[in-house]
Amino acid sequence: MSTAETVQVESGSSLWHDAGVRLRKNKMAMLGLIFLVFIAVVALLTPWIAPYSYEAQDLYLGATPPSAEHWLGTDTLGRDQLTRLMYGSRVSLMVGLVATTVALLIGVLWGTTAGYLGGKTDSVMMRIVDVLYALPFAIFIVLLTVIFGRSMLLLFIAIGAVEWLTMARIIRGQVLGLRRQEFVEAAISIGLTRWQIITRHLIPNALGPIIVYTTLTIPSVILLESFLSFLGLGVQAPMSSWGSLISNGVETMEEYPWLLVYPGLTLSITLFSLNFLGDGLRDALDPKASKD
Amino acid sequence: MTKFIFSRVAQAVPVIFIVITLTFFMVRAAPGGPFDADRAAPPEVIAALNAKYNLDAPLYEQFFSYLGDMLHGDLGPSFKYPGRSVNEMIAGGFPVTLELATYAILLAMLIGIPIGIVAALNTNTAKDYLPMSFAMLGICLPSFVLGPMLILIFGIWLEMLPVSGWGQTPGDKILPAITLGSTYAAYIARITRGGMLEILSQDYIRTARAKGLSTPRIVIVHALRGGITPVISFLGPAIAGLIAGSFVVESIFQIPGLGRFYIQAAFNRDYTMVLGTTIFFSVLIVIFNLLADLLLVWLNPRLRGGKS
Amino acid sequence: MTPTYFKRISLLLIPFLTLGLMACSKGDSKSQVELGNEQSILHLGNGTEISDVDPHITTGMPEYHIQMALFEGLVAKDPKTLEIIPAVAESWTVSEDGTTYTFKIRDNAKWSDGDALTAQDFVYSYHRAMMPALGNQYAYSLYILENAEAFHKGEISDFSQVGIHAIDDKTLEFKLIAPVPYFLKLLDHHSMFPVQQKTVEKFGAMDERGTKWTRAENFVGNGAYTIKEWTPNKIFIAEKNPNYWDADNVSIQQIYFYPVELATTEERMFRAGQLHMTNDVPLEKFAEYKTDAPDMLYTAPYYGTYFYRFNTENEALKDVRVRKALAMALDRKAITERVTKSGEVPAYALTPPDDYGYKALAAIEYNPEKARELLAEAGYPGGEGIPALELMYNTLESHKKIALAVQQMWKTELGVDVTLQNQEWKVYLDRERTGNFQISRAAWIGDYLDPSTFLEMFVTDGGNNKTNWGNARYDELINMAANTGDLDKRFEYFQEADQILVDEVPIIPVYYYASKHLVHPSLKGINTNVMDYKPYKYMTLVPESGAAE
Repeated sequence: MSTAETVQVESGSSLWHDAGVRLRKNKMAMLGLIFLVFIAVVALLTPWIAPYSYEAQDLYLGATPPSAEHWLGTDTLGRDQLTRLMYGSRVSLMVGLVATTVALLIGVLWGTTAGYLGGKTDSVMMRIVDVLYALPFAIFIVLLTVIFGRSMLLLFIAIGAVEWLTMARIIRGQVLGLRRQEFVEAAISIGLTRWQIITRHLIPNALGPIIVYTTLTIPSVILLESFLSFLGLGVQAPMSSWGSLISNGVETMEEYPWLLVYPGLTLSITLFSLNFLGDGLRDALDPKASKD
Repeated sequence: MTKFIFSRVAQAVPVIFIVITLTFFMVRAAPGGPFDADRAAPPEVIAALNAKYNLDAPLYEQFFSYLGDMLHGDLGPSFKYPGRSVNEMIAGGFPVTLELATYAILLAMLIGIPIGIVAALNTNTAKDYLPMSFAMLGICLPSFVLGPMLILIFGIWLEMLPVSGWGQTPGDKILPAITLGSTYAAYIARITRGGMLEILSQDYIRTARAKGLSTPRIVIVHALRGGITPVISFLGPAIAGLIAGSFVVESIFQIPGLGRFYIQAAFNRDYTMVLGTTIFFSVLIVIFNLLADLLLVWLNPRLRGGKS
Repeated sequence: MTPTYFKRISLLLIPFLTLGLMACSKGDSKSQVELGNEQSILHLGNGTEISDVDPHITTGMPEYHIQMALFEGLVAKDPKTLEIIPAVAESWTVSEDGTTYTFKIRDNAKWSDGDALTAQDFVYSYHRAMMPALGNQYAYSLYILENAEAFHKGEISDFSQVGIHAIDDKTLEFKLIAPVPYFLKLLDHHSMFPVQQKTVEKFGAMDERGTKWTRAENFVGNGAYTIKEWTPNKIFIAEKNPNYWDADNVSIQQIYFYPVELATTEERMFRAGQLHMTNDVPLEKFAEYKTDAPDMLYTAPYYGTYFYRFNTENEALKDVRVRKALAMALDRKAITERVTKSGEVPAYALTPPDDYGYKALAAIEYNPEKARELLAEAGYPGGEGIPALELMYNTLESHKKIALAVQQMWKTELGVDVTLQNQEWKVYLDRERTGNFQISRAAWIGDYLDPSTFLEMFVTDGGNNKTNWGNARYDELINMAANTGDLDKRFEYFQEADQILVDEVPIIPVYYYASKHLVHPSLKGINTNVMDYKPYKYMTLVPESGAAE
């Protein structure tokens, strides 16, 4: 690895510019991006464009398959599924975005710091991660709800609190490998501070695994949300979320398959899009790829 | 290396102690007690039960007497299952969960690693998208969806496999292992792909390529060692998490494993059971994380201190 | 509804997995149920894992289902009529004043280890059941015996003063403080089952909880079955007890109880031929079985009520007009027909009809018009200005659905916006107990067939009242009913009590439960009744003719 490359990483603007060009060339990534933008726009506009109210029931209609009035059918209480899916995407996308960002920030900083500093600091930091891993999560959540009540903010904190742990471990493993490489030693010799080394050299070089794991964290966060609402935290009926729509859909998948298929498809397409976009970003941002 | 292991084992002691302390006070602080039931028991009955389990003593006293018993290997009686001890419940449930988790993780590695490698070697071609999309199914179909679907298809429509049980009828371990393993397969595939790409672009691999070595040789001899690093970092906590997280699969398939005890204990406010399973679980985390770190060092000689 | 739609999608997955599975597919084609029919093994779904089988410790239904196989009380119920019939006692006499019962125990009554079952055994068992340290939650139901309450509360320590005595080996006498007419029914409750002194004390003190005497290898009981194997969360196997006095009439050799918590899993096990009978039927499957396989669906009204509690100290809810308005605006028929859909019956009073004498005459009207008037009278016309209300339920899909329907009804009929709040089970219990709620969902299942098991709940400051509501006349009625031997008078008191609950509305009755099971055609001898009482000794396994091929 050459010092020329180090210089390139530092000059951020050209890196981002190159990355943008490379990303636009990746068809799957662009498709993914387009879909994600589409679904985000729909989620934002839902209160104005949703065909029905998310709580309006028609008990005597009950569950009906897709039809002209209800494009994606209705659930067992006669509520329009398209509407509930649209409202659900507001909740799920927000949870996915915010909670993952929380997890990402804590996990990346924690992991790189531990991995780079090594020694006693590393041990203490990673043992803290071990402790948090081992605590009974359900009890932790119940306590949170009892102390602070039911709020969305709390939901993000609770999810972020568990999801950053694995992130931190993965990043640390990565940084352990990187910190002995020449470019880091070169940076030290130039006299950069630890903080500068971590933010300018280590994190950009560990970006691949960070992006990959982020795309994996989003689905688990979206599904975790429905477990937390089981414990009394987060969104409350009649508001919907993808996680709750899917877990309800499973119960009746033989009788009313559309209640599982459409939320499942929406989630799946979103996840695929995220992954293609994630891979595209990873490839585009790869500091070494520019040499090819 | 022995010094490393020794220091990690020494570090485990405070970790487990902190876990016990936090869990002990957290579970007591949670609303509702082990004897709260739909049908409220008369106060004198509750008093008798609290006396029996020493729950009427000051909290710190209970804590130290618990620690004392624990050091003698006694995790106490279960509150929810009066005739059973926590030791006994763990001893009964753990082997089952361990077996299930082992099948699941083996399956996940067998599927995930090859897919990840193939995809990394053929970035942005059909050979990348197809296997990765297949692996993605594991994420799009979480176990609470996949389990019932597999049961319907193979248990009920095709009548090929039993719909529930563990070691009771032949073949009843197949569906649970697939269900539990699929998500992890997807994770492993994605992480492997990322890790391999990272390595394949490094100088020493390029050198190897330039020397004209065959792709399988490069992958197996040179790249896999480094490329698999993030997978190992992921696997340590994942295996421990798999054991606690097998709750869903155990419930769907009626498997008498530890995952169900672990989750239900929290819901039942079965204090001793929560503590017992949590301690056990934290020991597992320490062990698997240590193993993962050892593997990391072994696979990546650069970590051993000297420069490569 | 055919699953073609979903089937087609999932068929795409099949090729991937089929190959791997071909090698391991089931060798023989006989299902567990068919094998069970040949070997006389009954496979039952039994809800959650049981906590124990000790009859003086447990409180749940899954435990009771197993205790019914392992123990027998002095009397039992007729599975069809639910009338009290002889069991361990072959006969009994009641004194003229209705306070002394004398039982004659069968000569051939034995424990499963072959020892004779005597009157002293019952005295010992009831002594144990009343020991304060044992923590028997049903000890209070024995307070009708002389001095029992004083003994259980530790005021006296000499058990011989309590109103139960062995006159000789086979004669048992009870002395009651009042001529309670339901005394015989009480004796069939699981907390009245006998335990053997020798066995209990081999593993601990008389009043020690959670000893190993209930383990398969140690257990001695007096029922038609005894324990063969008990592996938590996996299986509980009961096998026929040859020493049971009526063993000749017990047909099924072994019963396998499976702790299947999820009704959906249970139904799939049933469909795959792994169970003879389920403990429940999933909501959406009920209608399907009702039309496609009605002979497999056993359902009957059940002695339990689903209701909502009001916290009557709440600012808005302390006004009886508000409570009444909320109660009157509920379309219970819509709830039972369109939401719960499994044979439940709309409830307009607390006590369920038992078909054996009592049927509450009081009824809350369904009258949205009047409900709106009441609400306006209370100062909240069209729901305007009413303080925020929250409806709390423990997390469960079916509770959620009902709450959603109720929320809509209140909103559309009354303009009252109620927020929903689901809580984890223990948090929910804690909030109910400490009065930290406004409206909460609740349910009650009768212990024995008598209105008192429902109505006693709402005496002032009763442990299960939880509404902060109290009424002096109500307390008086319950007290009078407990102390009279006159059946007609008693029912009059209960009718008045039910009427008070309807007038003052501390609770909203929503529906009466229905018991529901899926039963394989080869299992015979099951009767549906309001207690969902199904003793195993009357069951037989009859393989369908011709179906075996």
